[in-house]
Amino acid sequence: MTAVAVDLTPRQRTWTSFRRNPLGVGSAIVLILLALTAICAPLIAPFPEGYGADTSQPPSAAHWFGTDDIGQDVFAQVVWGTRVSMAVGVSASVLAIVIGLLIGVSAAYFRRLDTPLGVLVDLSLSLPVLPLMILVAALAGPSVRTLAVVIALFSWPEVARVVRSQAMAIVPMPFVSAAKVVGGSSLWIVRKHLLPGVIPVVGVSVVLTTSRAVLAEAGLSFLGLGDPNSWSWGTILHKAQQSGALASAWWTTLFPSLAILLLVLSTTLLSVAYNDARNHRNGS
Amino acid sequence: MRRAIAFAALAAALAACAPSVPGSSGSSGSSSSQAPASADRLTIGTTADVVNFNPLVGNSRTDSWVTNLMYPHLTQMDATGKRVPYLATEWSYSEDGKTATAKLRDDMKWSDGKPVTADDVVFSVSAVQKEKFGVVAGLITALDKAEAVSPTEVRFNLTRPDGTFLDNVGFWLPIVPKHVFEKAPSVQKFANDANWVSAGPFKLTKVERGQRYIMERVDDFGPGTPAVKEVVFRVFPDVNTEVLALRNGEIDVIGNVLPPATATDLKNDTSVKLQEIPSLGWAHLQYNTKRKPMDDVRVRQALAHAVDYEAIRNIALKGFAKSSNSSVLTPSLPQWTDPAAKEYAFDPEQSKKLLTEAGVANLSLNMIYDQADPNIARWAPMVRDSAKKAGITIKLQGLERNTYLDKTAKRDFDIYAGSWAVMDNPPANLGLAFKSGGFINYAQVSDPKLDDLIDKAQQSLTVEDAKAPIQEAARLISDQVYDNVLYVETFNVAHSAKWTGFQPMPSELLSILNPLSLASAKPAGS
Repeated sequence: MTAVAVDLTPRQRTWTSFRRNPLGVGSAIVLILLALTAICAPLIAPFPEGYGADTSQPPSAAHWFGTDDIGQDVFAQVVWGTRVSMAVGVSASVLAIVIGLLIGVSAAYFRRLDTPLGVLVDLSLSLPVLPLMILVAALAGPSVRTLAVVIALFSWPEVARVVRSQAMAIVPMPFVSAAKVVGGSSLWIVRKHLLPGVIPVVGVSVVLTTSRAVLAEAGLSFLGLGDPNSWSWGTILHKAQQSGALASAWWTTLFPSLAILLLVLSTTLLSVAYNDARNHRNGS
Repeated sequence: MRRAIAFAALAAALAACAPSVPGSSGSSGSSSSQAPASADRLTIGTTADVVNFNPLVGNSRTDSWVTNLMYPHLTQMDATGKRVPYLATEWSYSEDGKTATAKLRDDMKWSDGKPVTADDVVFSVSAVQKEKFGVVAGLITALDKAEAVSPTEVRFNLTRPDGTFLDNVGFWLPIVPKHVFEKAPSVQKFANDANWVSAGPFKLTKVERGQRYIMERVDDFGPGTPAVKEVVFRVFPDVNTEVLALRNGEIDVIGNVLPPATATDLKNDTSVKLQEIPSLGWAHLQYNTKRKPMDDVRVRQALAHAVDYEAIRNIALKGFAKSSNSSVLTPSLPQWTDPAAKEYAFDPEQSKKLLTEAGVANLSLNMIYDQADPNIARWAPMVRDSAKKAGITIKLQGLERNTYLDKTAKRDFDIYAGSWAVMDNPPANLGLAFKSGGFINYAQVSDPKLDDLIDKAQQSLTVEDAKAPIQEAARLISDQVYDNVLYVETFNVAHSAKWTGFQPMPSELLSILNPLSLASAKPAGS
């Protein structure tokens, strides 16, 4: 493959070797399917509301995932839950990435800011995240937006740290010094040289932060801090736990848990595969 | 958090209905699942630690269960909510209603050997009166002075005739040993967390926080020696784990009320017996009458017609709930109920008509509830969905418990969804709940006619006299929708089929864990 690889750009090389990894491709397909489910939820199942006559029914042809204790279809709940879980996950992750990117790049480029920002990141990383999230979510009141903001507020430090270390390697590069010499403004240098350099690590971060955010959302919703007006995977688990039917109605917990597992597993595998593919030294 | 709960002591005690904060999981017990029950030990599962060993202060359910076994009350109640003797053998009012007397039994002893006397009763009630704390303080406002006529007779001098006084004191006031509690500078602040001197059927001997509370039999307990030697309360994280422990034979009784779905499930299990316990409270929606447009009775009636009561009882509560016919006089207290009461029909068209009459369009309201209360969390979305059919938008605000209590205390809501746990005496309770400025008057009702009727009922010395005004008050509350009563829950508590002899009493507080019941519990077949 070496003879061919020489002619390819790094991006093409990454893509080629990514395509050869079945786990990575499979994960990507699963994620795309989940995203499609989230987007097309109204086409797949009606919004679960009201009540039904068939309560606590095991999975059947009429109710693929069974029904819960007030007769709502668990399949519909999981489908609509995909929407909220992924929306919270993606928006929290985007927010966290933006904050993390800003802080990470500033710390690496503006030397004087490095120490205070480093302290801030270390401090944020050492906070007891879950209790604080619970506190903030409880005080701010349950809504999808609150959840996204709360999760983002506690997820950016990891991104900032990764971005900073990557950017630190770029700042001393000759082309950055050259850009300074020709009189480029800091903003321009950051935009043209630093950001493109850190984007690949951010790419992995987006995926991992999303999966962490989905987990955090499920955790908070399970604790009853989710939005009662919408469905998420955590909310389904919360309601199942509250109904006291955990031991008997296994389907109310299995399917949302599977959905969480599927998402977290595929994001992890995807980011691993992407990392491997990008690491060209392993490719030859 | 504990402080916040204590702060809302009265509200919490009357309104408490959510599961308590789970404690840590207990270590596995020693009893094996196959052995037949012996009279040596009865193990009860609970989901919380005892927070307060001072019975005059404690207000969580586990607090009450444990301290009720240690400190006697003047009376207990039978299955219909009527008072029956416990420490007091008989009680009565003078003709003008301004003195009340209670005669005590003479065979009760504190665990240090001293007898339980009228002095202890006087001390307990006076301490509460002086320091004004706990549930009882709000119920004995008529008390002028209590005095011991003889060691077995107490006289309460009242400032006004109050027919609810003896019922309230008898049911709510735990009697504490004067010679122990008087040494504390403040009875309210007395922790009472060691060297207990008690006088119930069982005495607390060992506390392992987060694990278990071991109580030993008192052989010379006045009303009769308990059959079981030792009662152990074990702390579990939640009801699900309690059910598993009961099925495995690790525990004999689940103290907590079972969620309806679990109860349906356990019905088919022959190793488990379910006891149905009527609730003394009710679940309800309250509309903030001080907020527009709910100050208009037509809007409140429209809201009442937009609730599918049958569905809530049958689906969310799995049928373990009774209709109260939209009346605050519930079927749990049959001596008070009004046979003429009629439930609001679920009729979205009628709602729309009433709203049009009131000139209200696009009504959108928020509804607060305690997210941790499993029943309410289940029916709150049903209330929202049925209101939607009447064109009313209800935004759910399922809140964390303390936020919910705070909003309730500040009356910061459009609709309040919740439940009152123990409303054992209508004239007294309706006074707290619906009289202008009442402590738990969440709907901010202010109706002089209602105030008069409740006052009249409180001054009547017998149920017969109080019945007419209180029923009229209840009709007014229903017609004006000052309270929208959804249902009266039928609690299910489970115990192992290896045990028998429990004496169920109404409400979660008494259930089958009341002192007289545990004193008479015995292994089945012995």
